[in-house]
Amino acid sequence: MKRILVLALAFAMLPAAADTRELPPASGEPREFSLPVKETVQLANGLSVTFVDYGTVPMVTVLAVVRTGNIDESESTWLADVAVEMLKEGTVIRSAADIARVAADMGGSLSVGAGAEQTSVGISVLSEHAAAAAEIVADVLRHPRFPEAELPRVLANLERSLAVARSEPDSIAGEALAKLVYGDHPFGRVLPAPGLLATYDIGAVRDFYDENFGARRTRIYVAGRYDRAALEAALGRAFGDWRAGVEPTVLPPKASETLQLQLIDRPGAPQSTVRLAVPVPHPAHELYFPTTLTNSLLGGTFGSRITSNIREDKGYSYSPDSSISARRGTALWVMQAEITAEHTAAAMTEIYREIERLQREPPSTQELDAIKAYRAGLFVIGNSSPNGVMGQLAFMDLHGLREEFLTHWIANMYAVTPAQVTDIAQHFIRPEGMTVVVVGDLKQIGDNVRALPELQGARMP
Amino acid sequence: MKGLHRLWSGLLIAGALTGCATQPLTTGALEPAPPAPAVESPAPGGINIPIEYYRLDNGLKVVLTRDPSAPTVTVGVYYHIGFRIEPRGRTGFAHLFEHLMFQGSANLGKMEFIRLVEGNGGVVNGSTRFDYTNYFQIVPAHTLETVLWAEADRMKGLAITQENLVNQQEVVKNEVRDNVLNQPYGGFPWLSMPQLANENWYNAHNFYGELADIDAATLEDARAFFETYYRPNNAVLVVAGDFDPAQARVWIEKYFAAIPPRAHPPHPDLAEPVQRRNKQHSYVDRLAPRPGLAVAWQVPERGTPEHYAFGLLDQILLQGEDSALWQKLVQQRGYASSVGGGINLLGNQFNYDGPMLWTLYLVHDPHVSADAILADVDAEIARLRNSPPTAPELARALTKIRAGLYELAGSSTRFGLVDLLGAFALFDDDPALVNRIEAGFRAVTPAMVSDVARRYLRDDNRSVLIVEPGRSAAGAEP
Repeated sequence: MKRILVLALAFAMLPAAADTRELPPASGEPREFSLPVKETVQLANGLSVTFVDYGTVPMVTVLAVVRTGNIDESESTWLADVAVEMLKEGTVIRSAADIARVAADMGGSLSVGAGAEQTSVGISVLSEHAAAAAEIVADVLRHPRFPEAELPRVLANLERSLAVARSEPDSIAGEALAKLVYGDHPFGRVLPAPGLLATYDIGAVRDFYDENFGARRTRIYVAGRYDRAALEAALGRAFGDWRAGVEPTVLPPKASETLQLQLIDRPGAPQSTVRLAVPVPHPAHELYFPTTLTNSLLGGTFGSRITSNIREDKGYSYSPDSSISARRGTALWVMQAEITAEHTAAAMTEIYREIERLQREPPSTQELDAIKAYRAGLFVIGNSSPNGVMGQLAFMDLHGLREEFLTHWIANMYAVTPAQVTDIAQHFIRPEGMTVVVVGDLKQIGDNVRALPELQGARMP
Repeated sequence: MKGLHRLWSGLLIAGALTGCATQPLTTGALEPAPPAPAVESPAPGGINIPIEYYRLDNGLKVVLTRDPSAPTVTVGVYYHIGFRIEPRGRTGFAHLFEHLMFQGSANLGKMEFIRLVEGNGGVVNGSTRFDYTNYFQIVPAHTLETVLWAEADRMKGLAITQENLVNQQEVVKNEVRDNVLNQPYGGFPWLSMPQLANENWYNAHNFYGELADIDAATLEDARAFFETYYRPNNAVLVVAGDFDPAQARVWIEKYFAAIPPRAHPPHPDLAEPVQRRNKQHSYVDRLAPRPGLAVAWQVPERGTPEHYAFGLLDQILLQGEDSALWQKLVQQRGYASSVGGGINLLGNQFNYDGPMLWTLYLVHDPHVSADAILADVDAEIARLRNSPPTAPELARALTKIRAGLYELAGSSTRFGLVDLLGAFALFDDDPALVNRIEAGFRAVTPAMVSDVARRYLRDDNRSVLIVEPGRSAAGAEP
């Protein structure tokens, strides 16, 4: 077991000196934090199962993650979603209603979902049902019946979800942003074109499944409290003779580094939905740690510079946030904010100002230390639950990260210097390479946004 | 699009405890996942949370529960003031005031509370609900004293300026635009249904607030509101996690005991008249592309045997994909991709104190009429009105409740647990009720379930809310 001491700082933020205010009491000694014990075994067909012993209650989660999803759709946008929805519509021995009932009898419900690069089938149940949980996850993944009669309903549901997505400013902006950033890559097609879903028949669903699901692409994570020997045996029976299938698709996207701007009209919108994106080092890149800290400091926390500025100082926005959106082999820094319409250009100017300020001068050690302490705290919280640990393992597997990513996480993070943060801002978080999307009332905001100096010369699709 | 990043995103370390910006009525830009709605309970061998409960001389209720499974502590301060009892003419004020609690106190200036917590490795937020406003942090265990000091500082009094007030009025108005005004189905049905189904103004006003009311709030309003409701004898402090209770008691005494109590605030009469007519209302949502339908019934009084029976009814009819309404409306009829709802859409069946609705809702296609859906809902209800649930049905409902309680007790954030302890201390003066939830459900007989279906799921106790799409179903966006 690897023991990691989390060095949290005692009252990193002091009230300003030279006043009569009381100071916060000093913290005690940081406790030791140990990463949960885990062990990985290989089934007969090479499929890896990682067991994590964790938790205080008699529950267990069995989660299968398959390295497929929208990345394997080519131009058939959402075909992965259709196929994965259809997994729940029945197996050779169970109807959809049976699956729901059996899951509930174990105290769980089956979660099935397709993502960009990972598709998951998982369930959390009372510990006594661990072996049965393994069996039902395998049944759904390995023996789907794909009943043709259910397909029209599943497609109608996705059509409805699509119509709703096209009415939400967040989805509208996200679709445009992905298209501009990733272009013709499947990641650039977030929503299917009108009429496309209706062209998918049961043959296309079955083909997608046959081509993309198998043991080589799958890992299983188990976490919670369970009888290890019995569960391992059950998983061996359930998955050990699954066909190998193919290796995961290698199709890294090329993310745009060109200044681009798209304005999308939403007449009468009281807020503008603003997105800025630019490529940054991905999780397997040596600069990932300074990048993720830079994000936290700039816009990724409640106390971050951008949030302090456009929310707590100016009141332009409720929930501005920046984050790192990672795909295997690539990552974007994405800034998002919903801004009062009349302040759209002013708020964007403040966002640029905060970026440029960080490019100009390194943060103080005190400011960066507070961010490190925050991230160390989140690391402990995130690694203190079975689901948190499994999610992190799935993240590491996707990005090809070794165990050291976890065990050296705290040390790597604490090693980041203020100068490195400024380097990241200078070399990567460059306004001149950003893709910018604004969804709002263009009659009110269009001219002011187009006039922003940072957007001059932008390619406008 | 659904998928790993949606389903399991709360599990990814980088995204842990962030996101969820659409959870209404919260302070944060970065928010912990809210406690799951309709969380429930255990049986012989169910949860057994160790609880220390006492009261300071000034009336502050304190709940301590030690759980050393992770080296963190979760602190919650619950004030017995929710949005339904905010002043008339000041809709949205309880929630606006929640934001003001982050704007500065005697020893912590604006942003310093947040930076103190984040800079110590913690996360922080607050939220406003029907009958309480809560403030909570998860922090590394060794910083507990710091957080207690900070919560006590703002319980003593605020030090906010007109500028801070105006700033948060703008932030809150943006929150309303974010979650309601610029979204299809904004506020549907959590904000709109209580306004239709309830008669008493306290239960039936706009809880988020009219923008004009938010603008009208003054510093004097804030001072009066604080003095009325933010007192130690109107609050509960909950500490859960890896700490020494004896040491925590010393710190709590040191920082909170000197805060003076004040007279008990007036508590308005929240009673709803018994509903005797079926209500129906429709409105056009200019941003919505498809029709929406929500149906609600008034539920039995909280904490009674009927209320527990109704909770089982909720499990059987509406919770999970195995539920009767999911199977009928989603799986068999294909009206919608999901049907949501439960008792108390902003929490669960225990964390409120007054009248409450059981609500179900869905978004469907225009070629399906609301009447057709209502007929199917009625048929499923009629089955339980006419005959008790089967033994497997009842056992399944209890199993779901038990698993839900284990998840509550096993969560490393401890938010759900802290929330129930806070609510039970605040409303029932008995946080140990959390250990008796499952027994409450197990005492319900099949006949009682059928009985509450007959007595409460009546046609004349029902409110139907219809969203008419304002956009064409084709919904092409320019």
